[in-house]
Amino acid sequence: MRVPALIALVLGSFPSLGLAATDKPPLLTGESLPRLPQRLVEMALEALKAPDWLVSLASFATAAGTVVAVFLSAFALLSLIERKTLARAQNRLGPNRAGIFGILQPVADGIKMLTKEDIVPTKAEWFLHLVAPVMIVIPSILALGVIPYGREWLPVPLELGLVFFFATGTMTEVAVFIAGWASGSKFPMLGAMRAISQMISYELPLIISALSVVMLSGTLSLADIVAAQSGYHLGFIPAWNILTPWGFVAGIIFLIAANAESNRCPFDLPEGESEIVAGHMTEYSGFKYALFFMGEYLGLFAISGLGITLFLGGWQAPLPGLGFVPSWFWFFGKLAAIIFFFLWVRTTFPRVRVDQLMRFAWLCLIPIALLTLPVAALWHFTANPDGSNGVLSWLLCSAILAVPFIIITVIFNRRLAPSLRTYHYAE
Amino acid sequence: MESPAPTTRASSPPPAAGWSLPGIGLLKGMAVTAVNMIQSYYRKDRMTTVQYPEERAPISPNFRNFPFLVYDGDNMAGLRCTACSICEKECPPQCIYIVLDRDENGKSLKRPKVFDIDVSVCMNCGICAEVCPFDSIYMDGQYELATGDRFGGLLFNKETLARSTDYHAQLRPLEAAEVAARRKAEEEKKLAAQAAKVAKAKLEKEQKELKAKEEQEKGTGA
Amino acid sequence: MVPLLLLSPLILLAALGAVWKARPVHAALLLALALALVAVLYLSVGAEFIGLVQFMVYVGGVAILIVFALLITRPGDEAAEVARRPRSLALGLVCVAPVLGILLYAVSKGLPVAAFEDANPKLPVQALGTELFENAVPAVLTVGVLLTAVLIGAALFAREPGPKSELPADR
Repeated sequence: MRVPALIALVLGSFPSLGLAATDKPPLLTGESLPRLPQRLVEMALEALKAPDWLVSLASFATAAGTVVAVFLSAFALLSLIERKTLARAQNRLGPNRAGIFGILQPVADGIKMLTKEDIVPTKAEWFLHLVAPVMIVIPSILALGVIPYGREWLPVPLELGLVFFFATGTMTEVAVFIAGWASGSKFPMLGAMRAISQMISYELPLIISALSVVMLSGTLSLADIVAAQSGYHLGFIPAWNILTPWGFVAGIIFLIAANAESNRCPFDLPEGESEIVAGHMTEYSGFKYALFFMGEYLGLFAISGLGITLFLGGWQAPLPGLGFVPSWFWFFGKLAAIIFFFLWVRTTFPRVRVDQLMRFAWLCLIPIALLTLPVAALWHFTANPDGSNGVLSWLLCSAILAVPFIIITVIFNRRLAPSLRTYHYAE
Repeated sequence: MESPAPTTRASSPPPAAGWSLPGIGLLKGMAVTAVNMIQSYYRKDRMTTVQYPEERAPISPNFRNFPFLVYDGDNMAGLRCTACSICEKECPPQCIYIVLDRDENGKSLKRPKVFDIDVSVCMNCGICAEVCPFDSIYMDGQYELATGDRFGGLLFNKETLARSTDYHAQLRPLEAAEVAARRKAEEEKKLAAQAAKVAKAKLEKEQKELKAKEEQEKGTGA
Repeated sequence: MVPLLLLSPLILLAALGAVWKARPVHAALLLALALALVAVLYLSVGAEFIGLVQFMVYVGGVAILIVFALLITRPGDEAAEVARRPRSLALGLVCVAPVLGILLYAVSKGLPVAAFEDANPKLPVQALGTELFENAVPAVLTVGVLLTAVLIGAALFAREPGPKSELPADR
């Protein structure tokens, strides 16, 4: 009895976590369906006259467990859908043996991963080698906790949700480094160096593009950012950030940077199979390898969820009059669309080169992301008293943001157009 | 160390005269994959995948895998192999092992007592099939050779190697027909030669008899 | 109080390990651990913003920078490092002792106990932002200019000196 009380005391001393469940939503509406497990556990414990700290701890654990369960099943489903989609784009069938349409393929993969031999190389540091895959998964799950999935469904209502999200993201870099270094082999080391330099480079445009949203919403709380995007222009155009000039540009930058941050094609240099085996995952096998994949996919969900929250209106419905549909349905619909876009990009583009990757981040994304900040400020100051923006404001902001695009077009046509290629060592 | 002179060649068509927007190529590429994705659901000619265990792609006549032995007639008795051991000597990885069958007097029966091929050693070069003067050994088209027995299951003996001429004709009709025609021609030639020999012997015998008769007549006459 | 009692020995251990470990990567990782635990300590006393920023800047930025520097430099001789240890220890103690003394003095004398009476003094982020960008604007701007100058200077230093590299970019 001592130890759980101690844990509760420690957790309870984090005042920001909001452990005490204050609101009591109705049990069985569509809106509060995702919170049903949490409420049931609370009610059961209260009926059993459990002490308060146990109720809040169990409630918190159930809320976290719900999110983890939802996204782990989504991970299993995505691993199948990804293979199916890539296969269709390559005119193949994809997995179709395990169960109908291969629906049991993730189960088969899981069993395979679990029963594989767990190899620790002789030169590896076994403790760090063990810690790295765990450290990859933890920040992704932590980050999933602060995203508002629905009007009623926000696992951890943090005032500093956005900062928390990016703070957990930095843990991934340390974990990747540990994985690369602890393997005691050269390919993991090279992969880890690539991964860290790429993550650092793309974290800047990611954060800067999110900053413009923070500037105009005036809050770091993700729930408030979603609330700031409610309402409709002209009665039917949703007031999402992506539908403003600065939000459009920042959203695209965020999309590209998020793709790079989650190490997906065409930015999958850290695990470039044809170059460095599997990067930092080379020396891993069995379930540790599966954990890396889990962390990667959960991170993809988290960062897509953040993008939806920042730019696509979170759980807001795309059209007025759709309020009868539970809000989390819209969130997951948008999530599916974004993930499908990532799959589509992955199946289309080849991997970029390291120097192209770095040049793109530092010379293209970061300057444009920096430009969105003053434009967002301009948008704020040219707004009408009621908060809407006039035609002039639209034109001005769009014109400023069009400048880098015009510059890029000129450079693209003058200097970068495909021309005669010079080979020094070939032939 | 001097670096070689740079060579220049056009890796893509020269840039078009007009201006293009950056990112147009990316969008075109995404359109291509989208078309692939959608059409793969209703255009049968796009999907070339063969669902393997249920259906199989027909193998090409030039497909060659491990060797087999041919027998004429209905059973192993008609095995063409004469245990001459040419293939055994020619085999580069030495995966063939032959023991000649002999009768109790030690006389060769011109057939193998043991004919083993270790397919875990065989490298599918086909030299045995090329050198065989008796049209006895050919390359097979069998590819489902997985076995649970690592040593015994991959050591093929005379019985597992033997196939009928019909199997050969089915596997590679052209080659089998050519071989059959050649063998038939040889057989006929051999028969003709035998017939000629028999006729000649008969003729000689008759002449001999005639001569003896003449001599007898002479003798009686003298 | 409980988090403090639980965390401070861990922080101390990690920090000592960071100093004591002969292998630089281990030392750097332990340093990162110590910094992360300090961030947890901040969080536990309700200073969310400073805790998260500590995590982002020190664990995500500084520790990674150190690790990166270790990766692209040649590892030193560990045995020589261990052999040099007594001298390094003496030097380190000489440097640390005054700082430690001042800190201990400040803790024992300077801070009124009453400051801790109000548990979780909440400073909202907005108030923090107002404080930083309205009252302390000159300092923030100065630091910003300084950091920008440092960034540009670093970029200039990092440029390859001499003629352009032999292989021209192919685009």
